[in-house]
Amino acid sequence: MSRISFHQITQALGSLRRPGSARALLLTATVPLIVTVAGLSVLVAFEARRLSEREIAELETQLIEAKKRELKNYLALARTAIARDYNPALPDDAAAMERVKQTLAAMVYGSDGFIFVYDYSGTNLVAPRQTRLINRNWAGLRDVADTPVVDELIDLARAGGGYHSYLWTKPSTGETERMVSYVIGLQDWQWAVGTGIFIDDVLETVSAARAETEQRIRATFGWIAAITTGALWIVFLVGVIIVMRDRRRADRKLKALTLRIFDTQEEERGRVARELHDSISQMLVGVRYALELARRRLASGDARASDNLDRGIANLSAAITEVRRISRDLRPSVLDDLGIGPALQALCEEFEQRTGIHTEFETVVFSNRLAPEAKTAFYRIAQEALTNIERHADARAVKLSVFGHKEGATMRISDNGKGIDASGGRGAGSRGLGLRNMHERLERLDGRLTVTSTAEGTLIDATVPLTHLLPPDTLGGPRRAPNLPQSDSDRPVSEGTRR
Amino acid sequence: MSPASPEPDKFAPGARHPGVAPQARPVRVMIVDDHPMVAEGIEAILESYDDISVIATLSSGQEAIDRVADLRPDVILMDLNMPGVNGLSATEMILETRSDTRILILSMHDTPEYISTALSHGARGYLLKDVPTEEIKSAIDQVMQGERYLCTGTRAAITPQTADGRVPLTNREQTILLQLALGKSNREVAEVLDISVRTVETHRKNIKAKLGISSTAGLTRYALEHGVLQGTGVRL
Repeated sequence: MSRISFHQITQALGSLRRPGSARALLLTATVPLIVTVAGLSVLVAFEARRLSEREIAELETQLIEAKKRELKNYLALARTAIARDYNPALPDDAAAMERVKQTLAAMVYGSDGFIFVYDYSGTNLVAPRQTRLINRNWAGLRDVADTPVVDELIDLARAGGGYHSYLWTKPSTGETERMVSYVIGLQDWQWAVGTGIFIDDVLETVSAARAETEQRIRATFGWIAAITTGALWIVFLVGVIIVMRDRRRADRKLKALTLRIFDTQEEERGRVARELHDSISQMLVGVRYALELARRRLASGDARASDNLDRGIANLSAAITEVRRISRDLRPSVLDDLGIGPALQALCEEFEQRTGIHTEFETVVFSNRLAPEAKTAFYRIAQEALTNIERHADARAVKLSVFGHKEGATMRISDNGKGIDASGGRGAGSRGLGLRNMHERLERLDGRLTVTSTAEGTLIDATVPLTHLLPPDTLGGPRRAPNLPQSDSDRPVSEGTRR
Repeated sequence: MSPASPEPDKFAPGARHPGVAPQARPVRVMIVDDHPMVAEGIEAILESYDDISVIATLSSGQEAIDRVADLRPDVILMDLNMPGVNGLSATEMILETRSDTRILILSMHDTPEYISTALSHGARGYLLKDVPTEEIKSAIDQVMQGERYLCTGTRAAITPQTADGRVPLTNREQTILLQLALGKSNREVAEVLDISVRTVETHRKNIKAKLGISSTAGLTRYALEHGVLQGTGVRL
């Protein structure tokens, strides 16, 4: 393979940009890819989020449960510590109450932990780290999120004990954070004894976990995007390469075709030149000799002059016949003068006479409806097909027909020979070339060639689209040549002519 | 050359056999050929006969159509292959107005398809250009006798038919079929084509006979199915 030039690449890119097969190819490759990737991404993100959300919730529950167990432990300790004073005391034993208060007030832990006590009316009795609360009634206190705090704690205490979560000012920093409290009731004294613990660290851990998940999802998206872009580039590059290769192949084909056309043209010219020189020139020279001799004999009164004239006339007639033959071989005038029907009819008759193969021709009653280029294509295809049949098909009967229909015009050639596939060996090559010629002729006219070949024979359908039927308006109009291509010439026409 | 001369009336439509009195006046011959050398050659040859008068030598089919009413020829020697209106179309159109004109098609081609097509367009004979010159005179004589003339060697087996037995439509008949298929009445077709209603009727009858179709709707369908109406917007 030769190297790929920049020019070729730009050409290939150009053809990708142009609407056509290259772009269609690229679209069919990329659109499903993009759709699939997008769909998968959304699904993956959704699932990942759901899973991690579940995990995070579990983590949160576990952490808070641990805190709650801790609280319960603290209170169990407290309960044990005051048991000595509380258990034997009477409901109005003020001294015992004072001792219990002191015991509880001493039980501080960590930087923020302490035991608090409210009586059931809402008055704070113990709050060693927030002493401003002490001896004031806090019934009806709500936190900044409007959650009842003290009332709820007292209710829980009345019921025996329980957890409550609310926003509370952190003694160590003075900031409002969420806390969880556990409270039990000293029913004899109508006291609610509890302790709380801030769970801001738990919440932080949870939100950090959440952020990490988000981060991971985003990273995954990044990877997906990168991989997709890579894939798209690969598709694009492959597309460019395919287009370039196709273009090269087409170029090569075109070059070969051009070469073949030149060769054929040269060969044809050589043949015509030879025929003109070998036959026509020689005949005309003969005529000239005869005429000159006749003139000399006339001048000298020789009666044989008329013999020479006769000879000259005979030679001229032969020359005319010869010109007619050469001209017909080059292009049958009947095709231009009378149309495809009579031309094919003549072709078939001549074929039958030459080969002895029974040949039928059928056409509709219209003439000269095909545009010149389509006529020529049909005629040449018929010639090629008949040549193939004569050389390779071993057929006994051939049927040729031309008919118009709603999609255009079709020429059908069928034979009862042995079919194309069966004819291997020497004949196959030239026959293949013939079929390619037919294809190419029709391709140029946006037409279609279908070849159906079985052991029972071959059927060739050559179709040209409606655009190659002459439009009917060339038929109309008064006093005008109805359907000749030349009828559009600008020669003067009589009045009343319409175009 | 004067169309006002009373003499040609003898040979006006209806006089079937003017050849019975060849001495009465020379046969009026018109030559239509776009090759001047051929036209001049034929004229020179014909002028050498006393009973033939070449009244005009024209170079196109259109000219022949335009001037035939004034010149009133008995015989027209018409070249088949001319630019513009070709010999076959010109023949048809001339015969529409002067049906008794005897038209001989001149041609270089000797294939049977040419001859049958010429006859189907109404020509009385088909004359190869490279026949011996006496043949031209005898062809004129023969068609003046009311007979067909087909050049030597190709007289055999000339039937203007397609292989399936149908007679092909002439150019003019195709034009008229198109007009009829478009839904035009005889009168409208006559107006468009600048011919008489009776001529249209004759053509219509011939078309129906040739196609084996009896109704106008049938004609339209036939035309549509065979791609004749392409581009006219007609749908069935």
